[in-house]
Amino acid sequence: MRRLRTYGFVAAFLAVPFVLYTVFVISPYIQAFQISLTSWNGYSSVVSYVGLDNFVRLLRDEVFWRALRNHGVMLVTLPLVTIAIALFLSFLLNLGGGPGGSGVRGLWGSRFYRVVFFFPQVLAVAVVGVLFQAIYRPDEVGVLNGVLARLGIEPVGWLIEPSLALWSVIAVMVWQGVGFYVVLFSAGMAAIPKDYFEAAALDGAGRLRLFFSITLPLLRDTVQVGWIYLGIAALDGFALIQVLVGNKGEPDGATTILPITIYNNAFSYGKVGYASAMGVALFFLTVTFAVLTLRTTRRERVEL
Amino acid sequence: MREPARPRSGVLNGLSHVALAVWALLIILPLVWTFLASFKNNTEIFGDPLQLPGELRLDAWGRAWDKAHIGRYMFNTVIVVFFGTAGTMLFGAMAAYVLARFSFAGSKLIYYYFVAGLAFPVFLALGPLFFVVRQFGLLNSHVGLVLVYIAYSLPFTVFFLAAFFRTLPEAVAEAAMIDGASHTRTFFQVMVPMARPGLISITIFNVLGQWNQYLLPLVLVAGDPDKWVLTQGIASISTLAGYEADWPALFAALSLTILPVMVVYVIFQRQIQSGLGAGALK
Amino acid sequence: MTHPGEITRRQLLRRIGFTAFVAGPGAGLLSACATAGTGAAPAPAPSTSLAASADPKNPFGVDAKKPLEVVIFSGGYTDAYAKEVHEELYKKAYAGVTIKHNATQQIGTQLRPRFVAGDVPDVLNNSGPESMDLTALAAEGHLADLTPLFDAPSIDDPAVRVRDTLTPAVLENARVNGMNLVLNYTVSHRALWYNAKLFASKGWTAPKTWAEFTALGDEAKKEGIVLFAYPGQKGPYYQLWNILYTAAKIGGNQAIIDIDNLVDGVWTADPMRQAVTAWAEIQAKYGDKAYFGLDHTQTQVKQLQNQVLFYPVGSWIENEMAKDIPDDFEYAIAPIPDVTANDAMPYGAIQVGVGENFVVAAKGKNPQGGLEYLRIMLSKEGARGFTEKTKNLTVVNGAAEGVELPAGLVSAAKAQDSAGQNIITEARFEGWYKELFDYGTEQTNRVMAGRITPEQFCTAMQKKADDIKQDESIAKQSRS
Repeated sequence: MRRLRTYGFVAAFLAVPFVLYTVFVISPYIQAFQISLTSWNGYSSVVSYVGLDNFVRLLRDEVFWRALRNHGVMLVTLPLVTIAIALFLSFLLNLGGGPGGSGVRGLWGSRFYRVVFFFPQVLAVAVVGVLFQAIYRPDEVGVLNGVLARLGIEPVGWLIEPSLALWSVIAVMVWQGVGFYVVLFSAGMAAIPKDYFEAAALDGAGRLRLFFSITLPLLRDTVQVGWIYLGIAALDGFALIQVLVGNKGEPDGATTILPITIYNNAFSYGKVGYASAMGVALFFLTVTFAVLTLRTTRRERVEL
Repeated sequence: MREPARPRSGVLNGLSHVALAVWALLIILPLVWTFLASFKNNTEIFGDPLQLPGELRLDAWGRAWDKAHIGRYMFNTVIVVFFGTAGTMLFGAMAAYVLARFSFAGSKLIYYYFVAGLAFPVFLALGPLFFVVRQFGLLNSHVGLVLVYIAYSLPFTVFFLAAFFRTLPEAVAEAAMIDGASHTRTFFQVMVPMARPGLISITIFNVLGQWNQYLLPLVLVAGDPDKWVLTQGIASISTLAGYEADWPALFAALSLTILPVMVVYVIFQRQIQSGLGAGALK
Repeated sequence: MTHPGEITRRQLLRRIGFTAFVAGPGAGLLSACATAGTGAAPAPAPSTSLAASADPKNPFGVDAKKPLEVVIFSGGYTDAYAKEVHEELYKKAYAGVTIKHNATQQIGTQLRPRFVAGDVPDVLNNSGPESMDLTALAAEGHLADLTPLFDAPSIDDPAVRVRDTLTPAVLENARVNGMNLVLNYTVSHRALWYNAKLFASKGWTAPKTWAEFTALGDEAKKEGIVLFAYPGQKGPYYQLWNILYTAAKIGGNQAIIDIDNLVDGVWTADPMRQAVTAWAEIQAKYGDKAYFGLDHTQTQVKQLQNQVLFYPVGSWIENEMAKDIPDDFEYAIAPIPDVTANDAMPYGAIQVGVGENFVVAAKGKNPQGGLEYLRIMLSKEGARGFTEKTKNLTVVNGAAEGVELPAGLVSAAKAQDSAGQNIITEARFEGWYKELFDYGTEQTNRVMAGRITPEQFCTAMQKKADDIKQDESIAKQSRS
């Protein structure tokens, strides 16, 4: 009886989310997978299956490989830089008072900083994109170049030099993301028992020692969560790049990523079948990334 | 009782403040610049970026309000995001709870089924999704948009909350059950309050995500401009600025969208930050 | 009355709507001496079949009770011309009718699913960066045949068929997969645009040869003005057009026609190579790399501030910048200077093309209403309303008469007058093979920035064109 009640409860709780998800998420994607095996142009009522042709073609497509390379760069640098800056700032915020003085306390004004750092997180990506277009403008009208001009430095083509553009984009993502992780890590640091620090401080450990020998090891889990979030963010980036640099991943494809390439093939060139194949590739890329990251984290709660 | 601060500490504190202040300025200045740019005219926008506007021109704000329909779209967005997030939290928490705390045949499978959604690029589904929504007669309706938002927010919500529910102690729930509470009551009256930090944190995540959503409304409520959301308004005025060279209006529209969000954020920042921190830590 | 050559020129101009220029200075600029369909031009034979079988007031049998849905690409022309002119005229003609009006910049994202689903608007202006592939739509039978429209009696004179009130390029460009499916509505003039008042005050004149062009570049450099700039963001296709037109000037229109027909080796042939080389040199010597990061309006504002001398664009620019044109600025068009001593086209050749793709949905709820809506657009009143709203010309002959046109447009009309038959043709592959065109804009930025050589540009473009040619999944078009 009790068992039956449990099953009834399980079914009742799962029913609505399961149906919603299946209808609106899974069923369109199944169709997309199906389309990846066709040469459909997006309009035609005749859909012809081409087997794995689209995938074979993918391997020979230099734009595809360039996009993959850019994903690789972003997957490595975005989490690394964001987490490093966020750790540094939250360390300053939480332990900035230092082992001396009133023991362990936050820095004066740390509330204010935390609020400000989080600001960019609440801005729509479209807003951020338009804003940074103005900041990165390549002539002295650009905010950044205007500042450089005051210092007597020639304007820099932040978004128009192929060697710089991707880094400029990543910088925006870092700018937007850091605040979130400052909050995340600050909470993590606050949860570390104060005695640890006091004991270590009594032993005469400096702030840097405190950070590396106590804070960082105890924050390991939190940092790993951050790594996963950022990895997923790095694989997206579509809206930002489209607004900021343009719909072809300019210049010279230096900022091309898979979503951009998929979008163009599907919506501009009428190669919906081929675009879907790229989407499937992106799907497996994301899954691989997630599995790899989760396997190495050994967090019991996240079971994969 | 306490040691006097060592001089090194003072210097370090100073340096800390410098580092923190630099990052704070990096964030505040661009926003202030946007705000100021909305009072400039085209000539000033295309002049020295570090100059203040010559006079306080408010006309761009009027044009932004009219052309980008910021008020109407803001209202639409609030409605959609409110119901979208509420639905996501309710259904997401229910599914996550069941998947995390009950083992039954296929429970793992269903969990992966939900989590797999994290890996799909959204616009790949746009075309087929249009037809699905259309079949239900939900095109150009906020109800349709809300349902789709919920569906697309489920993978992350389930992923996150399932992990969270697993950490909650078994004992409390068992005690409640022994007291004769039903599963449903246990969930709503015991587990949900216990999971509050996690719920708050993921709520914030979903609000931000749905607030920023652009592609889904672009396709699903395209046909009825009265139903558009804020991101569509921004995209539209941004394109329009390109055709009519009305840059002040663009910056005014940006400011109009930034300001209310900022106000809401500042009011709730304490809850947001503590919730986010606590939730993410579990 | 006139010698044969004059007639051709007259016809061309008359059809564009510039009857007054042909009539000569005595007639005055764009005065009201309409000649379209009357007097000088041979009167067209009235189409007996249509005139006999249909009510000239309602040739398609429109049902006023049926609503009409109109979707307009709201770009540089915005959508006021449709909302405030054409739709009002339609409502006046069919009292009580309801029109659903929708303006968007994301034509493709919004409408593609609707076409696949069969829930389509009746009239659509399929333009802009997200315009849909008309060939694919045509292949599915989504586009209504416009032949009945072209053969229908015109609103202004039932004895004249619609086709005889239009510039001939409309009928050429209407064809998709061998059928009349698209109506191009606007006429634009593309070449280099400059500030006539600045030139007057400096005592400069538009350069006729490449040597004069570069000499002017040196002169301008002293004044801190960039000789030439194009928008590297969003608008690099302005420069791709410019290069294509320059190639046509050097090698004749056949250069562009061959490119459209994917002829082997056309990209690496002399005209194209010379054109790219010439412009890449101009950029290297007189350009400013900052413009690679600016979009069209940003670049255009800089030109209004006299920081840029020449800008490659079409005549719509004047309306686009109307709000910002300062008193000391007046738009004027300059033909591309002679690149070599023996260019196939003489100095003065400019590109005159038709644009904005209007289609009627064949499987819509009200295709008759759609055709009638286009017929109303093509009436003198509808076309004049468009010109008044947008300060741009339409394909309707003589419809701009009596409308006060801005200086730039007048200069374009004069340039066309002196160009005579040396009109550079439009590159159609932009619509046919979008992938090739997009690739071309990307390569244009590269070659202009000096990251690849002109030779590499030509080789890369030829390779892409060959790929497209061999790709069986892409439907091929041809022209002459």
